[in-house]
Amino acid sequence: MGPANIIEVAGLSKSFGSLKALHNVSFVVRQGEIFGYLGPNGAGKTTTIKILCGLLPRDGGTVRIGGVDIAEDPVAVKQRLGVVPDDSNLYPELTCFRNLDYLGELYGLSRAARRARASELLGIFDLTDKTATPFGALSRGLKRRLTIAAALVHAPEILFLDEPTTGLDVPSAKALRALIQRINRQDKVTVFLTTHNLFEAEDLCQYVQIIHQGQALAAGTAQAIRQRVTGRKTLEVTFDGPVPDDWWQAPGYRGRPPVPVNGRWRLETAGQELHQVLTFLLARAAAAGVKIIDLEAGGANLEEAFLAILQEQRPGQEENP
Amino acid sequence: MRQWRRALAISRKDIVSYYGKPPLITWGLMFPGVLLLSIYLKDPGTYLQVSPGIVAMTLLFASTSMSAIVITFEKRAGTFRRLLLAPLHLDTIIAGKTLSAAAYGLATTLILVLALAFLLGLRLSVPGLFALGLLLGAVLFALMGLVASMVVKEVFEAMTLMNFFRFPLLFISGVFMPWAKLPAWLKPLAWLSPLTHIVELLEYGLTGRSHFPSPWLPLGASLGFLVLAAWAAHVTFQRRAYL
Repeated sequence: MGPANIIEVAGLSKSFGSLKALHNVSFVVRQGEIFGYLGPNGAGKTTTIKILCGLLPRDGGTVRIGGVDIAEDPVAVKQRLGVVPDDSNLYPELTCFRNLDYLGELYGLSRAARRARASELLGIFDLTDKTATPFGALSRGLKRRLTIAAALVHAPEILFLDEPTTGLDVPSAKALRALIQRINRQDKVTVFLTTHNLFEAEDLCQYVQIIHQGQALAAGTAQAIRQRVTGRKTLEVTFDGPVPDDWWQAPGYRGRPPVPVNGRWRLETAGQELHQVLTFLLARAAAAGVKIIDLEAGGANLEEAFLAILQEQRPGQEENP
Repeated sequence: MRQWRRALAISRKDIVSYYGKPPLITWGLMFPGVLLLSIYLKDPGTYLQVSPGIVAMTLLFASTSMSAIVITFEKRAGTFRRLLLAPLHLDTIIAGKTLSAAAYGLATTLILVLALAFLLGLRLSVPGLFALGLLLGAVLFALMGLVASMVVKEVFEAMTLMNFFRFPLLFISGVFMPWAKLPAWLKPLAWLSPLTHIVELLEYGLTGRSHFPSPWLPLGASLGFLVLAAWAAHVTFQRRAYL
């Protein structure tokens, strides 16, 4: 018997006036997993998190967390949740230690328990030397770390992370991902992670749900979602000089319209057509009087799958480079 | 009981974070100090007649300002959402914020009262009633500030809104002019002002007499206004706290 479902969402709907932010969204999160909730900006990720955390009422559907509907007993459900919002919103005037201590008070921890926990978390998050530093004086990366530590002060069963690495530099983001994995594995905390960083989702999440314009598009493991676009190849080609924007509009081109990305052209095509596309590329370069100076080919990763799934939903629209 | 402890935690945090700051302490000392001096210089013989009104006004400004400003500031900074995410009833948040704002209002007002007593010889005839008036007023005005904080987004809007009703209240509530001397057409309005009843309670506490026939009347009215303000705060928080 597998792990129990700790979050069960069925037919979730939410509108803001005429805008349908969420439409009939359903998913389950199993205990102990890192669940990735993916979608572009405006897809409905934050709205979902707000409903699940009791910050927003829903229009329809059911939300059960640990078997309890948050609308019926918000205080009991919130006691089981830790939430890291997309902005680091601790109290700027309080020290790191006092921030954790105060939040421990709000979650009902005894004085001794919350002080011990605050010291423990400062150690885990490598912030011991910042114990007496006001939160407002920390760097962005350290603020993010303390915000996550604050969400763990009462040892929650479920941790909601809304875009946790947004705005962080690469080393800080990497360190934070390692911490998230550690929390999940060592403390057995279920993690609900929203992100539009697909590398992050692929790196961290055991299960992924893709949402777009308030509707669930696909769900499964990162591997299963990648398999939806198996055989799809991406090519990134660099010419040694400018080419007309419509260079690819000639007989023989196969696949979706290429997209210029930082001086390179990004093409996507079916694997079995790779040979024809390469032949076409060489012919077009010769016709335009330019040379191909770099060419990278890759299989579909989660990002490709994500883009392909989004494209299936809006076939008439161009992809955003 | 658990929720009460959490309300006290909110209150303690606010007092240390906001009310213990030098600008607010300075404001708390300057406001009553200047008022006291100006009244005394105007007429050293009659300053005690208007002292209930001045004490009530200090209480009104201190309690309403702090509750309105603190919540509006926290909403802007995103820290108010911390309270909404925590396992707290909305009434717990209201209680915590009210307690700290009322404590600030009381502390500021007590400075004025102590100065009146030690420097100018103010004596209380019914100290218990005077203290009850201060306590009721502080909580009532703090709750009024909380309601205002929920309907605005910016700190300056909170101050504008507060002044929109504080100054008319000063005009109709017998602060500068005893209730009995108000024009006849203003007296019915004065009955509808919570400040009127707090001023009358303080008057009873100071002099042992009032313009009202019994202390029960302003006491009952103040309690009524307190219940009304608590209900208004509860409803406003339910409707607007999560926006």
